[in-house]
Amino acid sequence: MMTSDPVIEFLKQSLPCRDSQIDQLYNLIPHKDHLTPPCIYVYGGASTGKTTLVTSMLQQLEIKHAIVNLVECYTSKILFESILNKLSDHKLDPTNPVPYARCDNLIDFISHLQAIEGLDRSVIVLDKAEELRNMEVNLLPGILRIRELTNLKITMILISDIVFEKYYSKSTNIEPLKVYFPQYNKDDLLEILTLDFDYVRKLAEETSVDFDVEFYKNYLNLFLSVFYRACRDLCELRHMSRSNFMKYIQPVVQKQCSVTDSMSLWRNISPILKNSLEVLYLRVDVTSEQMKSAAHSLELPYYAKYLLVAAYLASYNSAKDDKKLFVRNAGRKSRSVRDVKTKSKVSEQLNTQLGPKPFTFDRLLAIFYAILEEKVGFNNNLLAQVSSLVELRLLSTIGDGTSLDGQKYKCNVSFDFVHSIAKTIGFNIRKYLSDFSHL
Amino acid sequence: MQRLYKTFLIINILNGSGKDKIYKLVEGGKSLQAFKKMENKLLHILKCLKQNLLENKECHGYDKEEQQIFDLLERTLDCGESNSALLIGPRRCGKTLLVNKVLERIQHKDNFDTDCILVKLNGLIHTDDRLALKSTTSQMQLDNVVDGKVFGTFAENLAFLLECLRTGDKSKSRSVIFILDEFDLFCCHHNQTLLYNLFDVSQSAQAPICILGITCRLDVIELLEKRVKSRFSHRQIFLLPHENQTSNVHTVGDAVNKIEYYLKLPEGNKKLQINTAVAKQWNRNLNNLLKEKKFRNVIQRLIDLDNSEAMLKDFLVKVIFHFTGENLTVDLFQKELNILEEDDMIKVLQDLTVLELCLIISMKHHLEIYDNNPMNFEMIYNRFMKFANANAGIQNFQRAVMLKAFEHIQGLELISMLSNTGSKVQKEYQFFKLLVTPEQILDAVKKSSGLPTEVAQWARSSLT
Repeated sequence: MMTSDPVIEFLKQSLPCRDSQIDQLYNLIPHKDHLTPPCIYVYGGASTGKTTLVTSMLQQLEIKHAIVNLVECYTSKILFESILNKLSDHKLDPTNPVPYARCDNLIDFISHLQAIEGLDRSVIVLDKAEELRNMEVNLLPGILRIRELTNLKITMILISDIVFEKYYSKSTNIEPLKVYFPQYNKDDLLEILTLDFDYVRKLAEETSVDFDVEFYKNYLNLFLSVFYRACRDLCELRHMSRSNFMKYIQPVVQKQCSVTDSMSLWRNISPILKNSLEVLYLRVDVTSEQMKSAAHSLELPYYAKYLLVAAYLASYNSAKDDKKLFVRNAGRKSRSVRDVKTKSKVSEQLNTQLGPKPFTFDRLLAIFYAILEEKVGFNNNLLAQVSSLVELRLLSTIGDGTSLDGQKYKCNVSFDFVHSIAKTIGFNIRKYLSDFSHL
Repeated sequence: MQRLYKTFLIINILNGSGKDKIYKLVEGGKSLQAFKKMENKLLHILKCLKQNLLENKECHGYDKEEQQIFDLLERTLDCGESNSALLIGPRRCGKTLLVNKVLERIQHKDNFDTDCILVKLNGLIHTDDRLALKSTTSQMQLDNVVDGKVFGTFAENLAFLLECLRTGDKSKSRSVIFILDEFDLFCCHHNQTLLYNLFDVSQSAQAPICILGITCRLDVIELLEKRVKSRFSHRQIFLLPHENQTSNVHTVGDAVNKIEYYLKLPEGNKKLQINTAVAKQWNRNLNNLLKEKKFRNVIQRLIDLDNSEAMLKDFLVKVIFHFTGENLTVDLFQKELNILEEDDMIKVLQDLTVLELCLIISMKHHLEIYDNNPMNFEMIYNRFMKFANANAGIQNFQRAVMLKAFEHIQGLELISMLSNTGSKVQKEYQFFKLLVTPEQILDAVKKSSGLPTEVAQWARSSLT
């Protein structure tokens, strides 16, 4: 509806690119004396402003509401009690946190709701509503029919990331009214990220580099050209753009080039951006120590490294290839990976794609002795190293250990990991793998 | 609201950006007033329509069934007969509404308050027999009797309730009417103790009770245990959509009549704050709309999809809540129909990043090649890398970034983990199945803008 409500104007200013959603939601929310549908389903990708919009609209319109997050309220008891606390304005005393009412089933919840005064036209918001499906079976249909069950004019708003069809079950066939929040497109993202301008100006204050909005927009364009194809999550993009901006203006700070020299700025930032694409969502600094390979930080004993390599070979090679790979002068041909490779290509699915296969302890030892150049006696130390590898979760055991043909193991590390381990002991692992032609 | 408006102005002034707007507001004061007036008028109309749609408690058709239930309850009330019956009908056909209507009629009888107690239970909220009994006790207003005693075990509670039902002979005792909504859920209770005891009382003529179950399951009798089944009277009342009943809409004419019923404004009703002229104008517009051929085509399409009245009502609710402007138009209905036919899944697919969509396309190809065998990340990764290496235009991504993208797809439930693989497997090798169809993927690829042409072509190519 064309509306002159100042709240709408305010919301549209504070949440750009969400005009249509604001209008839709405004029509559905019980302000003034509007009648509302019993249930509204708000859905869309992560960080598209669902919760922010619902929360701020309810606050601005001064509607009585309770917002609970289903990840926090993981049982129905906590859920019911926190909704009741919020709706009854019950303040929890930190020294003695007694809820408004003890309530652990739907029937108590309904009777408590009916007992609270002035709940007509109030709203209950359930964030991360997909969790409802993992709770009691009667909860979701009960929530969807809360108005019918309580005879109160309560509106339920469910906020979720996934489509509503995932909620269908035997006992739910109520379709709520849906409001979809589409993901921001590139232009929207540019517009929203430009709002950061004041923030980055403050960041750059100490460096005494002066720049204008256009400069920042240019940077964002470069930034999005690298990141947009991998990530459309606004929060993550904002974090990334902020943390990389200082690196972008680094050459200007060091007086290597001027603000207008966009070409050399681009040359400087492009490898940095590519690197930071790697740590997307991880929230670590690219340059920090954490990024160094785990294989290097893990200092295994010499024989343990060989054992791990042997375990990897045992997991990813089939047992019938062992003879060709490890026995010296087997048959007429010397050991060559080539014919093993040609043979294995016939099989449709490569071992590498199916993950590690279990192997016996005997096979592990056999391969271990085959790849180890020197002679080493079989003793308790070796056995202990196998179990410490299991302890480190580099290997895992299969079965309960009571089976007659001994314990079986599986290797849990990736190729990159074992490759760098093998390098430290000067062992060429590719030579011994039948399926890794593509690596 | 006034206060909010002021804060808005203050915020604007603080921002320094709203000055022009305020001038405009002051200048346009007159037109603003006219606008407000019009808006108010619309608000009242919409309010009336919403009331009509959301709070309409009228129940049409089913006159015969209504009389049947009424007679049943009346005999329990007047003659002290014990009865049991099941009311069976598809979801949202108006079962509970019908029962409520009958109950309202029977509550108007003079002897209801003195001779009868009504107990309403709902399978959704009374999830076990203990809760059901507790609720029954309070609805029978026996709380005060229980109050002094310690609320003991289930068996004691049950015995107490039965005792209360047993006291007095047929002529003196008050009759009890039990309404069990979502009856099928009561059948899941342990040993069906509640049902067994209720039916047993109704059979053995101890106290006059009437049990009316409401359910949507046609096979509900099969859910009852043998000893429970034998105590049930096997009186079933079906609310099935017959030809001659009005709960279903069979022709466009029916649908148009229904729409007229819901969307027409009452003329000359003072309480609604709509003056007669406005209401007349609205109704005239509505009538014109209903006669339009284009509109009838839209409605035809709608009832081809689903011809239940509940669905039509839902549709009208959506139309009214999305209603903007002054008058209902065909376009409005057409737009709503398009939304109804839209696939939400495609919208979600369109929201994916290029990388994620590429992974989905890889999955589609994988399933085509391997005849719907399950896939894991490693397989999809290799398939995508093959494509990326063959096309220079595709940006290359780190493995970790792709694993993140894969997990995001999993979070959106576009793929789901196969349950038979244990949790011990590394996540790269965990098997998944795809939950979207190839058609949906192609549709999404067609609709999303800014996709590299190589990717679109790759999606269309049948085998890579």
